[in-house]
Amino acid sequence: MQITFWGVRGSYPVPGAATVRYGGQTSCVEARASSGETVIVDAGTGMRSLGNKLLGEANGEPRQYHVLLSHVHWDHIQGLPFFSPAYVPGTRISIYALLTAANELDQVIGGITRHEFFPMPLEAVPAAFDFHQVEPGVDFVIGAFHVTPIALNHPFGSVGYRIDADGSSWAYVSDTAPFDQVLHKQHFLAGPEPLSPDDQVALAAMRGALVQRLKGVDTVVYDTHFLPEEYARFPHYGHSTPDQALDICVEAGVRSLVLYHHAPAHSDDQMDQIAASYLAKGAQRGIDVLTSFEGMTIPIGRPEKPA
Amino acid sequence: MKLRFWGVRGSFAMSGRDYLRYGGNTTSIELVTAAGERLLVDLGTGATELAKELMTTEFGKGAGRLPIVLTHTHLDHIQGLPFFTPFFIKGNEIQILGADPISGLSLESTLQNQLSPYYSPLNGLENLAAGVTIRSFVPGTSLSVPGFAVTTAAFPHGSMWTTGLRIAADQKVVTVLTDVEYPSPDEPLPEALALAEDADLLVHDAMHADRDYELRKGWGHSPARAGVVVAERAHAKRLALFHHSPDATDDMIDEVVARTAASTAVPVFAAAEGNYLDI
Repeated sequence: MQITFWGVRGSYPVPGAATVRYGGQTSCVEARASSGETVIVDAGTGMRSLGNKLLGEANGEPRQYHVLLSHVHWDHIQGLPFFSPAYVPGTRISIYALLTAANELDQVIGGITRHEFFPMPLEAVPAAFDFHQVEPGVDFVIGAFHVTPIALNHPFGSVGYRIDADGSSWAYVSDTAPFDQVLHKQHFLAGPEPLSPDDQVALAAMRGALVQRLKGVDTVVYDTHFLPEEYARFPHYGHSTPDQALDICVEAGVRSLVLYHHAPAHSDDQMDQIAASYLAKGAQRGIDVLTSFEGMTIPIGRPEKPA
Repeated sequence: MKLRFWGVRGSFAMSGRDYLRYGGNTTSIELVTAAGERLLVDLGTGATELAKELMTTEFGKGAGRLPIVLTHTHLDHIQGLPFFTPFFIKGNEIQILGADPISGLSLESTLQNQLSPYYSPLNGLENLAAGVTIRSFVPGTSLSVPGFAVTTAAFPHGSMWTTGLRIAADQKVVTVLTDVEYPSPDEPLPEALALAEDADLLVHDAMHADRDYELRKGWGHSPARAGVVVAERAHAKRLALFHHSPDATDDMIDEVVARTAASTAVPVFAAAEGNYLDI
């Protein structure tokens, strides 16, 4: 299995000279099994380039695509209307997401293509869509992939995915806050709120389940939007730091951590510094730390030794 | 009057080296009068860059006043709203003006839906710390914004309507006609000619290269040629091609500009992110 990063940015797309090397498009990762089957995680703006590539691979023919959504904040769904295979009749697109409120999932996804936001409503798009609700801890199979959703700590709910295929595994852990200071629920937070004993129990349980699910995972892609000093100012925004990601990964004994969901304000030069600094910090703790950039492909699992 | 393009790209924000000279941010245009009064047109991703500059001024201290006119509510014209930092500072007063996108759906409900808890952690307009007022207007009416006189008209844009703007200040006129499509590029609607009459600068939708237009008729956008026809017939003094296709690299835009400029006596350039232009 291998994974390719099509969008690594958090919050909103950031064009310009400062993002040329790491990339300015938002969350989208493609996993590919040795069979050639693919699964897409998150539908941020990176999905536009991915769609063009997949449509080319399919020679313009209809195919079935599977899209796992962590949650439906704009930066994770905004690429969907620009996914070119959706405009090929006969294409089928299966969308998997957490149901976070009473509305039906198709209405939430369909809502982004309503008249007032986008020229073509979902019903008019030639592809057929089907929607699947995921539940943390309830695993399922998509072809070569075994998928386990994991609850995360983010406003209105978010879910990570552990994905096993070809005898190896990786996990997508984005978006999430750490599990100590703030418990995200379904209301607006103007700042951190005091934690009740129940909240503390809920956070510990969420953290415990995450570490448990990550045990034995080869590579973990983690929301590391903030540097520690930025997190200190915005602990209620629902994102983590590389240090918090390292703590989780060390505890779970994973081999490699990939920094992901870069803050829009982090320039390429800052990203170079972050990459170098956490490569060193990871080495001290026995973890390979990579910093994702648009177009990066990495193999999952230890490379096999030549016989 | 000065004008600065903060975002010139249509549909989709494009990052990467092929989009550095003209810029990859979606639409946002800032106008400033000699007296320092400011008007913003559209809240595409370009507005997030302007926001950083504004935060170093009175907007950072909660004493900023800003009117924003939205041409319409397609995402590429509003996607910067949740990240426009002056909204997060108490004391700033920001007014958003625009037409209701479709009958029965107000501008305010549309923006409220953009910030609904599914889509945004802001969880609703009421959580923006600044004073935000949202006012729907009926295209065809004139808007009075401190320092500017704005005349408006509705234009068909695919399945909805967009608002064209004639913005006058300091005895100068800037006309913005974006996301417009006429019955044909050679038959601009009379409302377009009226808004652009004797304008010092006409900013016009040029999403499509002329040779691609036939394939994309009815999608709600113009070829570069349509802007030329309006500018010539309305006697506009300069034409800025705007709302560049996400598929158009810097080199492709250079080509469109060269070909368009060769076809008319009106001075033509492609809108680009960057410096203030004197009108």
